[in-house]
Amino acid sequence: MFPFIIRRLVQMTLMLILLSIVTFLLFSAVPTDPAALTCGKSCTPAIIAANRVRLGLDQPLVVQYLDWFKGIFVGRTYGYGQAAFECPAPCLGYSFRQGENVTTLLASALPVTLYLAIGAFVLWMFGGISSGIFAALRRGRWQDRAILGATLIGYSLPTFFVGLVLLTFVVVRWNLLPYPSYVAPFDDIVGFLQTMILPWIAVAVLNMAYYTRMTRSQMLDTLGNDFIRTARAKGLPERKVIRKHAFRAGVTPIVTSAGLDFAGLLGGAVITESVFGLPGVGRLAVDSVRQYDLPVLLGTTLLAASVVIIAMAIVEILYVLIDPRVKLQ
Amino acid sequence: MSNQILSVENLSVSFKTEDGIVRAVSGLSYSVSAGKTLAVVGESGSGKSVSSLAVMGLLSGSKVNITGEVHFDGKQLIGASPEEVRALRGEDMAMIFQDPLSALHPFYRISAQLIEAVQVHRNLSNDEAEKLAGKMLDRVGIPSVDRVLRAYPHELSGGMRQRVMIAMALINEPKLLIADEPTTALDVTVQAQILELLRNLQNDFNTAIVLITHDLGVVADMSDEVIVMYGGSAVEHAPVRELFYSPQMPYTWGLLDSIPQISGTDDRLEPIPGSPPSLINVPAGCVFAPRCIHKSEVGERCSTEYPELLSVGVDHQARCHLSTQQRNSIRPAKASP
Amino acid sequence: MKKSASIRLGVGAATVALLLTACGGGSGVSGSKGGTLYIISNAEQILHLDPQRNYTGEDLAFASGYLNRTLTQYTLSKDNNEASKLVADLATDTGTASNGSKTWSFTLRDGVKWQDGSAVTCDDVKYGVSRTFATDIITDGPTYAISLLDIPKNADGSSKYSGPYKNDSAGQALYDKAVVCDGNKITFNLASPASDFNYTVTLSAFAPVQKAKDTGEKYDDAVQSNGPYMIESYKKKSKMILVRNPNWSSSTDSIRPAFPDRIEYQFSVPEALVTERLMQDSGNDSMTISPDSIDPTKLAAVFAGAQYKDRRFNEFDPYVRYYAINTEKVPNVKHRQAILAALNREALRKIAGGIYAGDYADGVIKPNIGQDYAPTGLWDTLLGEKVEPTGNVALAKKLIKEAGQPFPNPLVFDYGKSPVADQAAAAVVASLARAGIVVKPNGLDIGAYYGIVLDPAKQGGMSAAGWAPDWLNASTVIPELFTPTGGFALSRYDDAQWLAKVKAAKELTDRGEQAKAWQDLNTEAAKLALAVPNRFGREQRLVGSKVQGAYIWGAYGSWPYGVLSVK
Repeated sequence: MFPFIIRRLVQMTLMLILLSIVTFLLFSAVPTDPAALTCGKSCTPAIIAANRVRLGLDQPLVVQYLDWFKGIFVGRTYGYGQAAFECPAPCLGYSFRQGENVTTLLASALPVTLYLAIGAFVLWMFGGISSGIFAALRRGRWQDRAILGATLIGYSLPTFFVGLVLLTFVVVRWNLLPYPSYVAPFDDIVGFLQTMILPWIAVAVLNMAYYTRMTRSQMLDTLGNDFIRTARAKGLPERKVIRKHAFRAGVTPIVTSAGLDFAGLLGGAVITESVFGLPGVGRLAVDSVRQYDLPVLLGTTLLAASVVIIAMAIVEILYVLIDPRVKLQ
Repeated sequence: MSNQILSVENLSVSFKTEDGIVRAVSGLSYSVSAGKTLAVVGESGSGKSVSSLAVMGLLSGSKVNITGEVHFDGKQLIGASPEEVRALRGEDMAMIFQDPLSALHPFYRISAQLIEAVQVHRNLSNDEAEKLAGKMLDRVGIPSVDRVLRAYPHELSGGMRQRVMIAMALINEPKLLIADEPTTALDVTVQAQILELLRNLQNDFNTAIVLITHDLGVVADMSDEVIVMYGGSAVEHAPVRELFYSPQMPYTWGLLDSIPQISGTDDRLEPIPGSPPSLINVPAGCVFAPRCIHKSEVGERCSTEYPELLSVGVDHQARCHLSTQQRNSIRPAKASP
Repeated sequence: MKKSASIRLGVGAATVALLLTACGGGSGVSGSKGGTLYIISNAEQILHLDPQRNYTGEDLAFASGYLNRTLTQYTLSKDNNEASKLVADLATDTGTASNGSKTWSFTLRDGVKWQDGSAVTCDDVKYGVSRTFATDIITDGPTYAISLLDIPKNADGSSKYSGPYKNDSAGQALYDKAVVCDGNKITFNLASPASDFNYTVTLSAFAPVQKAKDTGEKYDDAVQSNGPYMIESYKKKSKMILVRNPNWSSSTDSIRPAFPDRIEYQFSVPEALVTERLMQDSGNDSMTISPDSIDPTKLAAVFAGAQYKDRRFNEFDPYVRYYAINTEKVPNVKHRQAILAALNREALRKIAGGIYAGDYADGVIKPNIGQDYAPTGLWDTLLGEKVEPTGNVALAKKLIKEAGQPFPNPLVFDYGKSPVADQAAAAVVASLARAGIVVKPNGLDIGAYYGIVLDPAKQGGMSAAGWAPDWLNASTVIPELFTPTGGFALSRYDDAQWLAKVKAAKELTDRGEQAKAWQDLNTEAAKLALAVPNRFGREQRLVGSKVQGAYIWGAYGSWPYGVLSVK
């Protein structure tokens, strides 16, 4: 296990470095000059030039990259004279657009996205798996058909649509909940839950449809296996057969999918965050693209990539823990 | 008989499918006593596995229709509550299956699977159950018990796995063991070992065994009685020696003729012409008629009248319209050594 | 008086509260004292609170009303003409010009304090203005200090003074000569005469900043107040809370009645919800105001519903929307006039949102600028015939014929891409095609837009643009748009006679005369067809029912933050 983790960490570091270089290169290839974006009405060539210096864009690409890279370990100083300020290690850059360290921006956006992801994840896994098992056990009967029909609808409803519908009816029309406004759970747990419940549902609906179907098909698949017959032949109660034998056997692809889906959500559920006004990583990422804000773009890209890489490693470990026939690579 | 463990009477199993009703088993009757082995022989689709699954109560669903009677150790199983039957499964009646790799759960260690088999029916602690498992593994001839207990199914050889399955089936000392093609997936050498193991255990526990197989070699090796099934019905039922030396039904003749003999003078195998019948549109008359080469001796009757299972000897029944004379002339009985 | 959830009043503020009466503040404006004023917006933050970097009309009004006093300010009045008049804020009067309006002096009031209790001094003002020169740190703000003060420039156009953060004694000496402090009197020495410099200093770029508290780039997050309120907490994308500044005294400030006890600004409210909440008007939303425009899909409902009658506003925003015509690519005036004649402005306005999008414009100067505006008659007589909003195709064809040369097709039309803008471009293509003008639409990424149109090599024949005056004097419009040294001279017009007239108008010291001069120049520019005036933009806003004193303030096209109160 330990060598596996070390190997993965090394791979991850290399991947992230490569990714950061690629992002840098792609960004510099874009025809838009970020310096020109900073000044709007009062843009004169002199001011644009001054901004290029401020943003560090006048340096050769390699220098820009190395400065950024160095900052991760030892921090970085921006400005000069009395206007100098520190970006303490780990410094992922400074967003002049938003007036904040990238690390600070990520650190405040990540919990929001994390809470959104965790809540939705729990909701859709519970809902998806139980309805999937339920449907599989009543295969062909009306309950199964009803559930399949519901998943089809769930699949086809885009997240923003569900989000908007929930917002319009639950909050605006029926006044069941106050207008969503994000607060940290430690500050105001009630306000937090009131804000998050609808986004959780909005994200969960689509995914629940997927996991219901997946669980159902996995169950139907494993229920046809010989060891299920053996389990029943042993006299196991049906409940145990379903849970310990059938579900357990079919769970690996569900785990893989769940891991990746969760990791993907951590990269930011952009649409849901926009609809409900949640200051998460998704919003941060999209804004950084629109505003050509390289430091933030780098930060969110690397964060999303790290999360996925870590999630994949965890999924692999889980795989091995679940299925003893599989060995760690 | 007083030590009759299982008695099946007129068992019929049919499935409702999109293409029609599949009559998998029709009017099957047999009984097994403690310490005895009944072999059920037939091709795939003959109904041999389905009938056993029905006995064990492992067939369920709205599309299954089971009629007839199954008496197990005095209890009526057909029509009993699923809970009652479940309680018997794994405790008083057990079943082992053909492919031990797929029949064992790939994710659990052997110890866990054995412990589970015990704890379903008995209130033993994990340690006690594991001890019992270890003893059972030893009983079935597994050399390094501790290693096997900790192992996963895929880490063991085919023979070991089947021994484990047997251990798992017999760990609660059931009165009846149904073995569905237990050696088919194994090497010939291992086959012999497993069969010997079964015989020994039968001696130790006095278990009644129903041995399902298509391999007549296995039948000869182990069984006391044989039922030959074809197209869902029993077509011949005899003590083992009788069957081999004095078979009374064309299908059985065909089966015996298709066994390669090392010492035989024939230089060609004689297969039975044709293919197994459809179980959906069962034609009138003898189920074997379409493939029977002796039809002509009886005439139309074979195609119009379904033959009854009639006595043709001591404890020997056959389902065929041929007369005893005709049979004797086609195939004279061999002298039994 | 409305109860608020938690009010933190310092001792000083409590004293202030006792001194002021329940109705009426210093400026004679009436309103209820106390309570919390709520502001909600889709924006994630106030773009810049740093006075030298604040350049958005709404934010300037907000900062001026609560945090940042300037030497002079506009009058807080509903009437546009009144609003365009200056009042003294940090200064004792609206400034004294001398030396042919090349020198301006202001005397600072006594007793004005920062939130930390120290006095606002002349040096603070001088220091604040100097920050603009550090163009690589203090960005996004107006750069008039650089262009107007008498400090020599380098060959590339940048100033020889590079701001207070660099160790630049030579540059500092130059600055010290241009801006002089003598006790509490501050004197600005300008490079050329400017009769409206006292308007220029309404911009917060000329507001004071304490040197000791200046953190450069980070000052945005920690701005110090000399106004009636100060920042208690500011979390971007979340909330900003303003509470009373205990060191502000109404005796030194006759502009700001400072009615509410507290101001709570909520950011990142989803777009769809801002208008929705204001319409619902329940709970705290009745004491809420938003700088965002009404959601276009709800415009019809708001303007039809009687319950919104007293809460809705439909006023000019600061902008004139126009298409600049590049005189280098279309040098013949008759060709340019043909463009004006052929364009279907009605279709364009419909695409932009109909009557709510604005009124048809007749020049680049907008009525809400005050005295500098007069109708130009562009669409009635200037082109020889009447031109309907749908265009006068026959006239256009006639003008092209009169030009004597064929139209220089294709006309490349630059604009910033968006679904609506693409539709507008298509309408432009279609309507000009009727007169035989072939338009090649060039939709540009918003980020790339300025880079293209400001570059003479890359700019097309016509560019979509919008412009708002930096202060209420057309000297921030005509020279900027129609002279080569202007900041947004997309028309690239360089005619000696014209330039002379513009220079003369800029240097007029009599405001009334100057106004007439701008009006005439506006009409002449319209006839020269240097641009196609499209729309005088309009904005629609909604306020909560308990908010008092709201109107669209002509000075910034914003709410009059300083006088708002809640019932």
